[in-house]
Amino acid sequence: MPEWIRLALVIAAKDVRAELRSKTALLSATVFASLVLVIFNFARDPTALSATDLAPSALWVTFAFAAMVAMNRSFTVEREHGALDGLLLAPVPSSALFAGKLLANLAFVAAVEAVALPLFVLFFNVDLSRALPGIIGTAALATIGFVAVGTIFGAMAVRTRFAELMLPVLLLPFMVPPLIGAVQVTSRLLAARPLSEMMGWLRLLAVYDVVFVTLAALAFAFVVEE
Amino acid sequence: MSAEPPANGGYMVAAYVVAGAILLGYFLSLARRAKQVLRKQ
Amino acid sequence: MTILAGTAPIVTLDRARVVVRRGVIISGVALLGIAVVVVLALGFTPVEARQGLAQKIFYLHVPSAWCTLLAFSLVGIAGGLYLWLEDPRLDRFAAASAEVGVAFATVMLTTGPIWAKPIWGTWWTWDARLTLTLFLFFLFVGYLALRAAVHDRHERARFSAVVGIMGLLLVPFVHLSVYLFRTLHPQPIVLKPSEPSLPWEMLRTLLISTAMFTLLYIGYVTIRYGIALAADAREESDVG
Repeated sequence: MPEWIRLALVIAAKDVRAELRSKTALLSATVFASLVLVIFNFARDPTALSATDLAPSALWVTFAFAAMVAMNRSFTVEREHGALDGLLLAPVPSSALFAGKLLANLAFVAAVEAVALPLFVLFFNVDLSRALPGIIGTAALATIGFVAVGTIFGAMAVRTRFAELMLPVLLLPFMVPPLIGAVQVTSRLLAARPLSEMMGWLRLLAVYDVVFVTLAALAFAFVVEE
Repeated sequence: MSAEPPANGGYMVAAYVVAGAILLGYFLSLARRAKQVLRKQ
Repeated sequence: MTILAGTAPIVTLDRARVVVRRGVIISGVALLGIAVVVVLALGFTPVEARQGLAQKIFYLHVPSAWCTLLAFSLVGIAGGLYLWLEDPRLDRFAAASAEVGVAFATVMLTTGPIWAKPIWGTWWTWDARLTLTLFLFFLFVGYLALRAAVHDRHERARFSAVVGIMGLLLVPFVHLSVYLFRTLHPQPIVLKPSEPSLPWEMLRTLLISTAMFTLLYIGYVTIRYGIALAADAREESDVG
């Protein structure tokens, strides 16, 4: 196994282990996700807006904000324990560092999404029997894109005074194209529309991922250099 | 279809005034900050 | 322009003064030019029959859109070049262009709804141009917020450059998303806001306006660059 992959996995494992021990990010993100879903449900007029019309937006707003909470915590925890500086002094190539952080963030966000999805099914009464594989695939496709951007912006934000505010301010515009795509695909999946109707959006999601994961990986070197 | 153009001149005036205020305001802000930073010695 | 060790910073402050003065002159000329354009638009350009006087907002709205996009593109390009060349002039320019971009974006985001209300009957519409400008506005704000929050000059330049390039690359995706959204959700259009073929007097006024606005962009950026130059000179004389 190439050295940098091994390093990336070590970094990711360290982060995940640290989070499993303290559980703060996962817990806050999960509570947040549940709250958002509940509010969405009570905020609508059931006679005017059916659950299925609102469902895709509710799901993705939940995923988006819970992901942001999770990514924010992952860097602040590290800063609080001064571990980031130690990591930077070690001779780790920035690509390995980025890959490790990305994997850890993806693990966190995937965990939150895995908790939010059953809650979503429960509260919105959606039938996922046929749509589930598609929803999981779409979630993966959209999540990779904005988590990559969130990883690099998180590394920058953590160096600033208002880190918790800086990450959302920087990240939100970048979350919009994947979110729009994800909501469009999800709503078509739930309505059991043919695949041809989603191809444009899926292509958008895929191209976004390729461009921004690459860009974030390349730019990460400039963020962590001394 | 009436041949009279709609009477919406008020919007035009509002837009021109707002745009002018922003552009002039920014210019004055720049001028003030420049004077402040160039002031000493 | 490199600052040799031991050179008195008063040279740089003087240079900043020269730059600022040049910028003020250019901006002054441009503002006068825009005043002329206003007279031209109001007095010497035909009124659009279906849209009425409100259509004349077009002569301010479109040039400011162009300037916003120009400002933003240059922030991204300057950022990319900075990461490659590490020239502080590029970073100073990017900061200037971002701030000036906010000003033009604000003009666009205010004149846009004021134009939309009488023409489309609604203050806001998620059409390609307004949506994109809103995005650019948020990206600018994020960029400037980041710059304000990072104290080390080199770190600030590097971080801004990264955000700048990534923001620039985001633009085609926003555009594509809006396009896909609109082709699948056709919006009811009450009146077509811009004619496919513009009568030449309107085109003439629009082009002159665009030229004056671009000149104003150059003037503003020059002043703002001069301010940055002076601030850097100050910082160096305090440190050195």
